[in-house]
Amino acid sequence: MKYMLMMNTPRDGYAKYMSWPKPLIAANTDFMRAFAGKLAASGELVSAMGLASPVQAKLVRAGGDGKPVTDGVFPETKEFLAGYWIVQVGSAERAYAIAAEASTAPGMGDSPLMIEVREVMSGPPKDSR
Amino acid sequence: MKYILMMQFPLGDWKTKSIEAWPPQDVKAHMNFLRRFNKELSDAGEFVRTEGLGGPEQMKIVRAGKDGTPAITDGPFPESKEVLAGYWIIDVETPQRAFELAARASAAPGPGGVPLNMPIEVRPVMMSSASGEI
Repeated sequence: MKYMLMMNTPRDGYAKYMSWPKPLIAANTDFMRAFAGKLAASGELVSAMGLASPVQAKLVRAGGDGKPVTDGVFPETKEFLAGYWIVQVGSAERAYAIAAEASTAPGMGDSPLMIEVREVMSGPPKDSR
Repeated sequence: MKYILMMQFPLGDWKTKSIEAWPPQDVKAHMNFLRRFNKELSDAGEFVRTEGLGGPEQMKIVRAGKDGTPAITDGPFPESKEVLAGYWIIDVETPQRAFELAARASAAPGPGGVPLNMPIEVRPVMMSSASGEI
């Protein structure tokens, strides 16, 4: 079973991160590197991605002619995806344990890191194949 | 440059309007579109990865308790208005190309074969790893 572990951030999260004391940023980066390395070593890491700040995010739709219509992100959105891990594990419990470990990444402690856990679908819904 | 194209679905409409509630022929047309789209991306060397996610009813929010064991609550966050239904990672030369592909994805057929014109959130990827090296 594959799970996606999603790390969210408020709109100003990246600016806040950059204002952390340097040693704390280094500790956070070291944690992330060691964590990904451990998951890779255990064969559970499928993919890990870190996204650029939501300040650079665009919402895109197809216009009537199929051409892209771009816009800023939803103004009411409070939480943005900052990055994620896809893990391949034997049980949901294992995915939750990995998510709990990710949530212990060093930070300012002002807003505890919460990890959203979603199952990745193995195929299309119902019998649509 | 790598970009993520995120299919954002209105959370309040999930039960009544998500693909799970569509007639089988519409689901089939949608999946055929996705297969074609993914193959085109692949042929153009722009495809990195795509994934569809399980519904919000299966979503959990996890953090470590004091002793490191997982503290699990049902998701989604109460203030959430959108839910990520799926995503693509693409590797393209320009943001404009990412927007073009996002528009294609946005026009995927929905109920009755009508283009969904769903909003696709486009974000640059800063770093990626499948090997654990960041």
